[in-house]
Amino acid sequence: MAKARIIEDTAAALGHAREVDGQTLAEAMPRLIVAARRTAATVLHGLHGRRRAGPGENFWQYRRFTSGEPARRIDWRRSARDQYLYVREREWEVSHTVWLWVDRSRSMWFGSNLAGDAKIERAVVLSLGLAEILVDGGERVGLLGLTRPLANRRVIPIFADAMRIKPEDEGFAPSADIGARSEVVLFGDFLAPVDETIAQLNRLASRAARGHIIMIADPIEEVFPFSGRTEFRDPESGLKFIAGRAQDYREAYAERLAAHRAAITAHAKMLGWTLAIHRSDRPASEPLLALHARIGSLEAGAA
Amino acid sequence: MFGLPLAFASPWLLVAFAALPALWWLLRVVPPQPQRVPFPPLRLLMDAVRPRETPANTPWWLILLRLLLAALVILALAGPIWRPQASVASSAGPLILLIDDGWPAAPDWPQRRAVIEQRLTSANDDGRPVAMVPLAQAPGDITLGTGAEAIDRLRVLTPRPHLPQRAAHQPSLERILATAPNASIVWYADGLDQDGGRAFAEALARLASGRVTVHVADQLARGLIDPRNRASALTATVLRANAASDAAGTVRALDQRGRPVGEADFTFGGNDLAAEVTLELPLELRNAVSQLEIVGERSAGAVSLMDSSSRRRTVGLLSGTNADTAQPLLAPGFYIGRALEPFADVSTPQGGTADAIGRMIDDRVSVMVLADIGTIPDPVRPRLDRWISEGGVLIRFSGGRLAAGDDDLVPVRLRRGDRTLGGALSWEVPQALGSFSADGPFAGLPVPEDVEVNRQILAEPDAELPARTWAALTDGTPLVTGRQEGKGLIALFHVTGDTTWSNLPLSGAFVSMLERLVELSPTPSADLPGDGAASEQRNATPAEVLSPLRTLDGFGVLGSPPPTARPLTATISRVATPDHPPGFYGAAESPSAVNALASDARLVPLNLDGVAVTRASYAPAAEIRLAPAFLAGATGLLMLDALIVLLFAGALTLRRAGTAAVVTLCLIAAGNDARAQAEANDAAIMESALTTRLAYVVTGDAEIDETSRSGLEGLALQLATRTAFEPGETIGIDPETDDLSFYPLLYWPVVPEAQAPTPEALSKIDSYMKLGGTIIFDTRDALYSTGSIANGPGGQALRRILASLDVPDLEPVPLDHVLTKAFYLMPSFPGRYAEGELWVEALPAGGDGAADRPARSGDGVSPIMITSNDLAGAWAIQPDGSPRYPTTPGDPRQRELAYRAGINIVMYALTGNYKADQVHIPALLERLGQ
Repeated sequence: MAKARIIEDTAAALGHAREVDGQTLAEAMPRLIVAARRTAATVLHGLHGRRRAGPGENFWQYRRFTSGEPARRIDWRRSARDQYLYVREREWEVSHTVWLWVDRSRSMWFGSNLAGDAKIERAVVLSLGLAEILVDGGERVGLLGLTRPLANRRVIPIFADAMRIKPEDEGFAPSADIGARSEVVLFGDFLAPVDETIAQLNRLASRAARGHIIMIADPIEEVFPFSGRTEFRDPESGLKFIAGRAQDYREAYAERLAAHRAAITAHAKMLGWTLAIHRSDRPASEPLLALHARIGSLEAGAA
Repeated sequence: MFGLPLAFASPWLLVAFAALPALWWLLRVVPPQPQRVPFPPLRLLMDAVRPRETPANTPWWLILLRLLLAALVILALAGPIWRPQASVASSAGPLILLIDDGWPAAPDWPQRRAVIEQRLTSANDDGRPVAMVPLAQAPGDITLGTGAEAIDRLRVLTPRPHLPQRAAHQPSLERILATAPNASIVWYADGLDQDGGRAFAEALARLASGRVTVHVADQLARGLIDPRNRASALTATVLRANAASDAAGTVRALDQRGRPVGEADFTFGGNDLAAEVTLELPLELRNAVSQLEIVGERSAGAVSLMDSSSRRRTVGLLSGTNADTAQPLLAPGFYIGRALEPFADVSTPQGGTADAIGRMIDDRVSVMVLADIGTIPDPVRPRLDRWISEGGVLIRFSGGRLAAGDDDLVPVRLRRGDRTLGGALSWEVPQALGSFSADGPFAGLPVPEDVEVNRQILAEPDAELPARTWAALTDGTPLVTGRQEGKGLIALFHVTGDTTWSNLPLSGAFVSMLERLVELSPTPSADLPGDGAASEQRNATPAEVLSPLRTLDGFGVLGSPPPTARPLTATISRVATPDHPPGFYGAAESPSAVNALASDARLVPLNLDGVAVTRASYAPAAEIRLAPAFLAGATGLLMLDALIVLLFAGALTLRRAGTAAVVTLCLIAAGNDARAQAEANDAAIMESALTTRLAYVVTGDAEIDETSRSGLEGLALQLATRTAFEPGETIGIDPETDDLSFYPLLYWPVVPEAQAPTPEALSKIDSYMKLGGTIIFDTRDALYSTGSIANGPGGQALRRILASLDVPDLEPVPLDHVLTKAFYLMPSFPGRYAEGELWVEALPAGGDGAADRPARSGDGVSPIMITSNDLAGAWAIQPDGSPRYPTTPGDPRQRELAYRAGINIVMYALTGNYKADQVHIPALLERLGQ
């Protein structure tokens, strides 16, 4: 029979091992180039050319000088070649800001013997790995509610420390820090009632450009391998439920879970967000690859 | 209760059963403990299952189980009693216990005593005054006391070897009932009506109407009467009181020392109350029998004592016409022999008269019958005279030769010639047997009417004739005369031993008369008249006082007579009374037996039909308090419930439950394990029996045991290398538990703190030594013992071990002992130490004194060897083969010598003394060479 467990030692769960895991994961990833479909008008320089003229270092195009422009913009070397005046334009380079959020509520502190990691462990690993990849790619990455956006090379220890200092959060991801049109990646189990979740997603979507949801589930939550008289406890709300014959509820539960996920998926799609379900018994690289693909593909889709 | 013999100590507690329905409801609500799991998507699950019920119902069978548990607890608390003791008619007032403590109560005495004690205990608890009256004891005033006092008295009460004297106690009972009119009476009857039992019961019913309880056993005592030593067997009659008693059993014959001589089974047919039992034994054994008893029936009535009067005499029969054997029915000895056979052994010596008489005297016959011997030959006459004067009984029969002869070895002077009655030439009619003399041995015999005497020898009428006439014809002429001669008797039948002169030999009276005469003879066990035989006291002299010698107690065990036993006079009937307990009386050489039952006794059951008393039985453990059993059942159910709940909760997987069940079963089957162990033992025994192994005695000291083991291993190695003997694996044994008989040689290291073995072990060791085993005791203290081997610490322990063992005389191994040449030529037997000597059983000084030695050594091997040299220490090797201990002094040669000593000892133990023949080899070779 499957054994479920609640992680009590939060510090250990977010310990150095996770950092290493995240690092390893990140190193295994190809360099992730985040293409921003819509960029925020941020003054901060980044590495990504926006394929339009703007402040930047790389040459973009020469255009005819239009009267009224400051004369110092004229590129005299080019203008000397023929009779027109040209202005040298550079490609607009900006840094993209990606906000990560790891659901650290009690329900995430849960694992079973069917999977190696608890949900929170998997979520932390994924977030750290993603942060490393993004920083490598020149993006600025922030933890919602914990850090400001960073482009620091030591992003993994900084994030891990931040999460270690405040291992549990309250409520859904705060939207206060999110700058306009930044990107949001949410790691969580999203087991809260659909209405609540949708409201929160809407709140985030109103601030952020777009988002990605990684729904992490323990296999025990999908398979429901219980039988006999069983008392279920919700670690988050403290609710209790005693089932006389747990096996009787397996199918109903599976249907209900599918419906729940379908509702959230549908809403994410409506918002233009992506959603991936990750089971914690699967390798952690799977969702990261998917994320990689998605964040990369967004540009293609938006170009 | 409900027709069941069930009662409750506190029945009001059963009201709690009314609470069971409430409990049912409660149990239905409280579910079993579930398995707890954390489950984050619980809200989803609850969404999914909301329509379904939340608290699961406890399964109905679990509720039933718990209700049963509760019911059991309630029942147990109510104090159920199975078969409650029949309540005494009145539960208040004094209690008078009448106890039949005669021998009929003896067989089930412990059971009776338990029942009585239970009654006394409850009376004591109730604070009732109690009087206890043993009915077989002398009546006295009955006083009321406490139950505790009565219990103390009961514990020392044992059955008496006679019948209870119930009627004698009636007056004192009447007196006590006059003072305590509300007393209840409980009579613990033995169930026999031997002493007016029914009348006594009626009297009780009259005295204490409605308050009398009589306990009657289902199994009544059985009795053994009328032991007889018949022609070919011992016979006796087994009695029982009713057909409900055991129908089969065994009678055992014991000799004077109480050793069993023989056994025979008996069976009562149908409703018979008497059964004959026959013990077929050789005459010598039959004569040795002094006691018959019913096996397993422990009572004086089940023992029948046999005194010398029942022993069979040997009768020598000699007739003057021995040649007539071609027609046996006409032989004069035929009828006499047939008449004597039922109670005596008849020997008929062949040969001439003088030789035959001499041989009979040599054979120590008790009675000599001479049928129609005319004249006793002169050469044998003095011996015959002396035989008679020392107690022999000579019975003579008349006939033609006696009538013609001239013999004074007859009781009366005889007229020459014979008298014929009723012949063709006579007008006198044949005479019938007239009377038996009241003084003579035939006194009391019925006078047969059908005896006719045609011819007789007449006696000279003189003054002594009437006194010597024991039987006379109707006309007063003597038929049998007799006279005392010294301590013996001479009797003369004035007719022949065959039917030519009279038909007396055909009548039953003839057998009785001969039996009486034979009984006058001395018993064969006593010193018989014979050549130089000592004089012997004749038994049963009238008016002799016989003091009690050994008497039976109520359980039928012979012992010293109680102080109340009085001497027996001949006039007293031979039935036991309180003054004359059954047993042997008189002189030790020829005691008279008094039995608890007369030889014509019958056992009559106590019939209480129509008597107004309450009947009860001696049910074993009359009351069984069921509360513990119920509580145990409840506990079991509780554990079962716990298991089920654990299973429900998932804390106990099925596999673990299986493990638990297996553990429980193992505990239950612990007894079976013992059997499995026994089988393992069998395997070890097979192993030991199939290979010859060296064995050592486990001392409990691990180091010494290891030394012994490795020592014998080392010796075994040397044996296998150097000799044809390849010993099996060395084994350590414990003489307390193991069978020693498989091991020819036992090495026994003696530790200073060794204690003497238990008696069982000692007897095993003793028989081991006597049946050919050899034990080497090694005190291992040659360094510390000064002078004698027994002085060291190990020697002291050895003394303790051997203290109660039959040890033969010992000596240090002499130079010519077989041990010194069994394999090697060894002048001494060193081990780790070289100082000590090896002691063996002393060789007989010569001649065969072997039979007198306490422990005969099988095959000439000494059953015991004692050394202090620590042999095993020298033999001991380490696993790599190197010696384990150094020798003292450290001469390497000493170890070699120690191995040689060991090999010699093993060879000696295995082969015995055959090597002793080696000393003859030079002589044999020399002879062969020539």
